[in-house]
Amino acid sequence: MKPEIPIVSIIMRRISIIYFLIPLNQLEAAPVDFVNDVRPVFEAHCYDCHGADKQKSGLRLDVKSAAFAGGDNHGPDIVPGKASESPLIQFLTTDIKDEMMPPKGARLSPEEIDILTRWVNEGAHWPDGVDLVELEDTSDHWSFKPVTVQPGDHSIDSFIDAKLKEQELSRSPEADRRTWLRRVTFDLIGLPATPEEMSSFQKDTSTNAYAKVVDRLLASPRYGERWAQHWLDVVRYADTHGFEVNTERAYAWPYRDYVITAFNNNTRWDQFIREQIAGDAYGKPEATGFLVTAAALLPGQIGKDEESKRLARQDELGEIVINTGEAFLGLSIGCARCHNHKFDPISARDYYSMQAFFAGVRYGDRKIENPEVEAIVAGLRKNLKPLESELGDYVIQAGSDVPRASLSAKANIEKFQPIKASGIRFAINASISDNLREPFIDELEVFNSDGINIALNATVTAKGSKKESINDGVYGNISCWRSDAKGAGSVQLTFATPETIHQINWGRDRTGQYSDRLATDYLIEAEIAPGKWQEISDSSNRAPFDPERAREDLYQLTDLHPEHHARAKELITERAPFIKELQQYSGGKQIVFAAQSTSPEPIYLLNRGDPEQPQDEVEPASLSFLKHVQLPKDAADIDRRKELANWIVDPENPLTARVIVNRIWQWHFGTGLVATANDFGNLGVEPSHPQLLDWLAAKFIESGWSVKDLHRQIVLSATYRQGHTIHDAGLAKDADSRLLWRFPSRRIESEVIRDSIMAVSGQLDLKMYGRGYSMFNSRGGTGGFQPIESHQKPEGRRRMIYAYKVRMEQEAVFGAFDCPDAGQSAPTRGQSTTPIQALNLFNSQFTIDLAGDFAKRIKTETSDDIGAQVEQLWAIALGREITPDEAIEATAFVDAEGLSALCRVIFNSSEFLFLP
Amino acid sequence: MNKAEHLSPHGKHLLGRRSFLSNNATALSSIALTSLLGSDNALASGKPDIDPKNPFAPRKSHHQPKAKNVVVIYCAGAVSQLETWDYKPELINQDGKPLTGGPAVTFQGPAGNLARPQYQFRERGQTGKWVSDMIPHLAELTDDFAFVHSLTSESNTHGPAENFLSTGFAQDGFPSIGAWLSYSLGSENADLPAFVSLLDPRGIPQASVNNWGSGFLPAEFQGTSFNSKNPIRHLVPPATISKTSDQAASSFLQRMNARHLEKNPQDGSLAARIASYELAARMQLSVPEISDLSTEPDHILKLYGADDESNPTKAGFAKNCILARRLLEKGVRFVQLFNGAYASGGRLNWDGHSKLKEQYDVHSEILDQPAAALIKDLRQRGLLEDTLVVWCTEFGRMPMFQKGSQGRDHNPDGFTCWMTGAGVKPGVSHGRTDDLGRKAIEDIHPLYDFNATILHLLGIDHERLTFFHNGIERRLTNVEGHVIKEILT
Repeated sequence: MKPEIPIVSIIMRRISIIYFLIPLNQLEAAPVDFVNDVRPVFEAHCYDCHGADKQKSGLRLDVKSAAFAGGDNHGPDIVPGKASESPLIQFLTTDIKDEMMPPKGARLSPEEIDILTRWVNEGAHWPDGVDLVELEDTSDHWSFKPVTVQPGDHSIDSFIDAKLKEQELSRSPEADRRTWLRRVTFDLIGLPATPEEMSSFQKDTSTNAYAKVVDRLLASPRYGERWAQHWLDVVRYADTHGFEVNTERAYAWPYRDYVITAFNNNTRWDQFIREQIAGDAYGKPEATGFLVTAAALLPGQIGKDEESKRLARQDELGEIVINTGEAFLGLSIGCARCHNHKFDPISARDYYSMQAFFAGVRYGDRKIENPEVEAIVAGLRKNLKPLESELGDYVIQAGSDVPRASLSAKANIEKFQPIKASGIRFAINASISDNLREPFIDELEVFNSDGINIALNATVTAKGSKKESINDGVYGNISCWRSDAKGAGSVQLTFATPETIHQINWGRDRTGQYSDRLATDYLIEAEIAPGKWQEISDSSNRAPFDPERAREDLYQLTDLHPEHHARAKELITERAPFIKELQQYSGGKQIVFAAQSTSPEPIYLLNRGDPEQPQDEVEPASLSFLKHVQLPKDAADIDRRKELANWIVDPENPLTARVIVNRIWQWHFGTGLVATANDFGNLGVEPSHPQLLDWLAAKFIESGWSVKDLHRQIVLSATYRQGHTIHDAGLAKDADSRLLWRFPSRRIESEVIRDSIMAVSGQLDLKMYGRGYSMFNSRGGTGGFQPIESHQKPEGRRRMIYAYKVRMEQEAVFGAFDCPDAGQSAPTRGQSTTPIQALNLFNSQFTIDLAGDFAKRIKTETSDDIGAQVEQLWAIALGREITPDEAIEATAFVDAEGLSALCRVIFNSSEFLFLP
Repeated sequence: MNKAEHLSPHGKHLLGRRSFLSNNATALSSIALTSLLGSDNALASGKPDIDPKNPFAPRKSHHQPKAKNVVVIYCAGAVSQLETWDYKPELINQDGKPLTGGPAVTFQGPAGNLARPQYQFRERGQTGKWVSDMIPHLAELTDDFAFVHSLTSESNTHGPAENFLSTGFAQDGFPSIGAWLSYSLGSENADLPAFVSLLDPRGIPQASVNNWGSGFLPAEFQGTSFNSKNPIRHLVPPATISKTSDQAASSFLQRMNARHLEKNPQDGSLAARIASYELAARMQLSVPEISDLSTEPDHILKLYGADDESNPTKAGFAKNCILARRLLEKGVRFVQLFNGAYASGGRLNWDGHSKLKEQYDVHSEILDQPAAALIKDLRQRGLLEDTLVVWCTEFGRMPMFQKGSQGRDHNPDGFTCWMTGAGVKPGVSHGRTDDLGRKAIEDIHPLYDFNATILHLLGIDHERLTFFHNGIERRLTNVEGHVIKEILT
């Protein structure tokens, strides 16, 4: 018999609560049976949205384990014994419109609600083995199982042929030498093979002719430039911060250079991973640029309220986890930020445990030791020294009758009578904008009679913060002393030994980026005997602050005595190129936008990913369904990251080697053996050739994680060397050649197009490394990004990997060729074909300029004979002989329109733009 | 080949409901993979079947659409709901008082006291809805609008919030709504892009290209941005190239590419390249023609305010509005019409932090007459029958002034956008904020719902329009979104 329930039209939830207070034994009811009583209610009302097909809010009520795990929003929905605390019952009984269940259609009858309520209060007994469906074990998935190699002799070709045979297909005949050379050259170095390379390969009859080509290409520095781009796509590298202001990330490039070098050096892949996660422990701090490649809000863009700050921090950490998961493991770990992963065995707890490995990582610039850079800087300084010494003689002295020019926020000189001193002090009495803010000083340099900056070895006494930055030899806002008083402050330097000094250089930001917080009223004194100070300079004969001068560099004519201007002009001109080069090294040490290592903050499991709803604190721990590694909560930042890297590169980790060999395969053939290169989870596509994938992965580890060895295997295989002709049989069974019955020819990428146009025109500047060049005249902000239409300067003719990568903003001509926008990871390039591409490549000033350059080159190399010109054009651009028909047509065209018109056509031809 | 062989267990499981096209496949291989999986699945899925040779061909929607085209009037910088559409008399009563229980610190810093609406409100039309005097021309049309007063955003920062409005994600890198639409539906016009973004004469909006980007969708579906002032870049070659020489080069190229295709028969990507140069050539004619407003009669220029010589920015925006109408007339699927540029302390857009009234006086004059004229003009030409007009902004503003200023800070917790035109119920005010306009409290709708509703009106089920990327079937509405049925006819 069922108990009586008062049914009146008052709020059901309240009734339920009152009702729950009645002790069960007074109700004398028979226990509710799950199969006979409860499940039919679920079936009638819940399974449409919370069953096998749909799991709204992550809740599933047809499988015991899932039902008790609960939905995404509120932990367990069923609390055995406590109906009043069970969200399941609350949703059924509430009168709040947005929470009512079911949301549409008839509500549950009082009898049905009673059944469920009693069932929960009786302990929610759900017998094992009664479920009609089984929950799929998401960890039972091919890529989570160990790499296994079948015994026997294998090769890439044997695996490929076996699969083709199953489909009654076969590999295409071998491509001719010309086709293979053009293909492999584009593929490995991203440039077309030259006519000389063509003919020497055609003539090489040795048995290892192909292998020699591959060795030559892999040894070329161009190789690293080409393959680094693939990796930068995956990690969404950019030289701007993204989001609304998208300002320059000035020191991202050392990470880009690191990647290029790592490919060129064939750095073991496991080491490459280690360095990117914990490079600060391996002498490669720039490699940790990997951790912070994502777009990030700058401090000023984050709301001042604490909630905004917490959310921004969670977003930062989230991007690191996403990047690590996708790039190395091929897993979308980021999906578990708000709820357990829908398809993979990754719980929200796993996500936050992974996040805890990075809890000490902050985004920002860091200084790194780089002996090479330091040597370059020393060389530049040496060249500058005599020029600046002479210029220094012409600087108007402090306190003299000749007025001095207004201060610059970038750099100022104080020139005074030589004086022997054991130290100096710099006292600030006022700063710009009516003392609105605390003044900063970036690099206080004090020169002795040998022109040596003795401040570098001085002891600093100052209030405020980062006093050690005032004499660390590093320029820029990130490395300057910050006073703690508005419009005031004082710094004292005590030299190692007393010396005769005659000049002081100082500024607010020596890189010229910031012009606020500049001291305008100051007094500089020298300590000439213990406790005895003498004034050596002050601001009294300076002109009032002029914002126009705010970013001017040292040794402007306005700082110098007029009678020496003629000579000074010569010196200034001579000095300029050194200064320009020096600028990229920020005062001697290199700066890189990379992981800043700090003391890890506690990481909590967040309900629904909401930083305002922290739950348990979690330890750093690897994904629970793979080999489990866990660290204590007090583990240091670097130990956390090292441990994570070790876990990823453990040869037993079933994902790491598979993921990278698949990527390499994909970059050669266009599609991976696993077509979803960033997703090896349950939603990913299964491998077309699982045994081949495992064999390659095992060989890769065996070879010492050697990427170059893998390239050799692939490009020398018969599979890679086959022709690309399409035929009906192949088209009918396997149109996109996943099984590789033909080499899948495809359009070359945007960078390869631009670089190749430059190369064939004889214009490619091969300068490697360093700060990138801009493709835009203005860098975002109020003017937007205005493209440079005509790249006449040599630096604009460098390879495109050295162009500033502006997040979101497409480069005006080549961006349209599926260049990723560095917003999200791009494991593969799109292959779209659009009218905008056609317009850009046919009509841009770039194309017209380079067509002219190409024509000039051909004319120089040949003669006035148009026939010879078009022959040469075909040889350089298309790597083949022109056919007689083509020659007739091309000659007539050049006769009428000129050779550059034909070069413009060739740049747009499908043959020029396709990997054959 | 066994069609399901390459699929994961989940893939197999999903076969019945979703097709499983890989994100990285070329258009050609997508089709090939479709045939691999059995074409019936493609039909059952919500994904478009794209012909690589003609990616902009019109495609079927999921259900019978109410609207064929959309124009979105996008007010960048976050327009205050309290000065426009969300009338709060209680705010007048409490002017100058602190907001009890309100946040001490908001986005930009310390909060000041409550501040009354800066414009006079009055009842409008048959519905008697209270709308402010700031936008008198638009206010006249109030009876036609369906307002949603209870929208919320995931972000209180302009860039991420504009991303969220346009792409459903606060992060960079996701496809914009216009890209989703042109991907799904193609275009009715073979000579123009399916998706055009008309930039404000003052500059680009805060999140810039993200608002019209294609994210990880194929690049052909991104918006083409131009306006009445700036044409499509590279539409014509530099002046040094004569017209005849250009034509000769163009036909030589097409012959060369055709010959290459003959040598590589059946290669769809080579055929697509030839087609793309043909469309480019048609655009060279159609784009200048459509951008040439000299054929517009004086009364039309006057209606929009395009003849207003005293306010060149207003005239510029008005010309963009006329251009929007011309594009819609030609069947362009999605027109984005920006009003307001980038962050500039509210000088160039609606970001009224410091001197809200002073700045809104300027911005509203630019917006009001031209935008109202666009709606009237569309109606008088019968275009409103199948055109959806959307007015939106990335979030709203606080009922308090910021401490020490005469402006309002960012408020993503309750703001207003509206729609009118095809399929929209006129004269509806849906959802509600509290009496001071601080937060949405009734029928709360995250912007997902607003976007789901736009897709719905175009015949698209926002849950079925998906694209597989990095392990997830991505949607415009992430895993959220409910169509706001209350504002539909």
